[in-house]
Amino acid sequence: MAKSAPTTRYIRTPGTLGREDNSLTFRNEKGITHIPINSLKELYLLNEISLNSKLFTFLSMANITVHFFDYYGQFRGTFYPKEARVSGKVMLLQAKACLENRLPIAVAFVGAIAANIHEVLYHYFKHGNKEIKPYLDWLKKEVPDLLPKIKKVPTLLSLEGEIWRRFYETFQLILPEDFVMNHRVKRPPDNPINALVSFGNTILYTKTISQIYHTHLDQTISFLHEPSDRRFSLSLDLSEAFKPLIVFRTIFEVVNNRRIQVSKHFDKKYNYCLLNEPGRDVFITAMEERLQQVFDHGTMKRKISYLTAIKYDAYKLKKHVVEGTPFTPFLEKDRR
Amino acid sequence: MRITGTIVNYYIHCKRQCWLFAHKMNFEDDSEDVRTGRILHEIRSEGRNNTEIQIEGIKVDKMTEEYVVELKKSDADVEATKWQTLYYLYILKQKGLDRKGRLEFIERNKQNHRTVELELDKRTEPELIRLLDDIEVYLQQDKPVPAIYAKKCERCAYYAYCYI
Ligand code: SF4
Repeated sequence: MAKSAPTTRYIRTPGTLGREDNSLTFRNEKGITHIPINSLKELYLLNEISLNSKLFTFLSMANITVHFFDYYGQFRGTFYPKEARVSGKVMLLQAKACLENRLPIAVAFVGAIAANIHEVLYHYFKHGNKEIKPYLDWLKKEVPDLLPKIKKVPTLLSLEGEIWRRFYETFQLILPEDFVMNHRVKRPPDNPINALVSFGNTILYTKTISQIYHTHLDQTISFLHEPSDRRFSLSLDLSEAFKPLIVFRTIFEVVNNRRIQVSKHFDKKYNYCLLNEPGRDVFITAMEERLQQVFDHGTMKRKISYLTAIKYDAYKLKKHVVEGTPFTPFLEKDRR
Repeated sequence: MRITGTIVNYYIHCKRQCWLFAHKMNFEDDSEDVRTGRILHEIRSEGRNNTEIQIEGIKVDKMTEEYVVELKKSDADVEATKWQTLYYLYILKQKGLDRKGRLEFIERNKQNHRTVELELDKRTEPELIRLLDDIEVYLQQDKPVPAIYAKKCERCAYYAYCYI
């Protein structure tokens, strides 16, 4: 698919969002910006923005999803336009699959995490980093052996935890010292790398919510994560396979070429560590580029972006629950 | 399941599309074609009054004393449009309205619009009834038939879903 006008708009400075006739306007002390809505699908509000209900009516009519973040970059919620695609049949079949067939689907997600981490790290191995070899071998040989033998979701979750833990350990081999992770701390993140991981995962998670919105899948019925744990738990599942490819590649890129630096792009308060405004700018721009990056898709005979690949994973899952076709999440190695 | 003109059309065009549509797995706005079709329809409706007549779920583009008129933007699938219109004639007949059918293909960049005339007669009526029975049975299946991988798939709104 050809590259078209941006479908996502990030608003990072405080101000007021409103409607003027058939366009969106954003006002702050610098003046008024008009935001065309013809191709707009998503708005990210990353600061204190005022808005009124008249605006929501308009956003709903125009089918625009809005994700809200607080000043600290923490995700607060999503405004979902009214016209969601609902199919009773898909919902029932998805629930049935979750009750009767949850484990194999969850296993597929974990298998994809391992395979995609392997792809990302292999790049560093190829460029001379031999110390990650044992982990790469474990991902490639042992994990695929272990996965089919797993009988229960909790066992699967601990293997998943192990995959990520060992992945974070490799950071000391590929990142500058001030970005090495001692341990993963989520809420609130306590050091720069955790802040980047949290922010990146959240953006990917909300992107996935918007992609699922265009399918008929029910956002609360998930397979790897506990269903209904959160309002959008399916999005947690579907974003997993893309984390290494999108979030971590973006992190490695901006850190290694020093576009993000500890001294310039983080706020440290009490025990928190958060990306500051310029830091978020750099990170979002780099991550958007990755999401929009296009490549040849094997069976589709079309160029697709990573963002579209997320939607197609949702289609695959839908097809799996409706028609029983095999479900394998996106694998970087299948890219052409 | 309630059969509609669109369902009849899709059954002839592609059975898989028919099943997905009938089970409310509607278009997933991947295809530019769907949008062009809709916009064309809207623009057309604006200029005229009395276009698009709706009778109990049947939406026809125009109805005169003698004819039910279906407007299509291409003659790519005449067969499907033909049975869709015959289905309308059949429903109208049950309500005491006897009409003939006319299909008009308004293609972009073409001056002469092709038209096709249709009639519900001794030959087409029983055939239609059999078709409706077939559709009824097919839609009760719990899965659609597999994708057909044909040329027409490239323009179909389900393309990504079928080929992924
Ligand atoms: S893509 Fe092809 S197989 Fe699928 S519904 Fe459309 S026409 Fe039928």
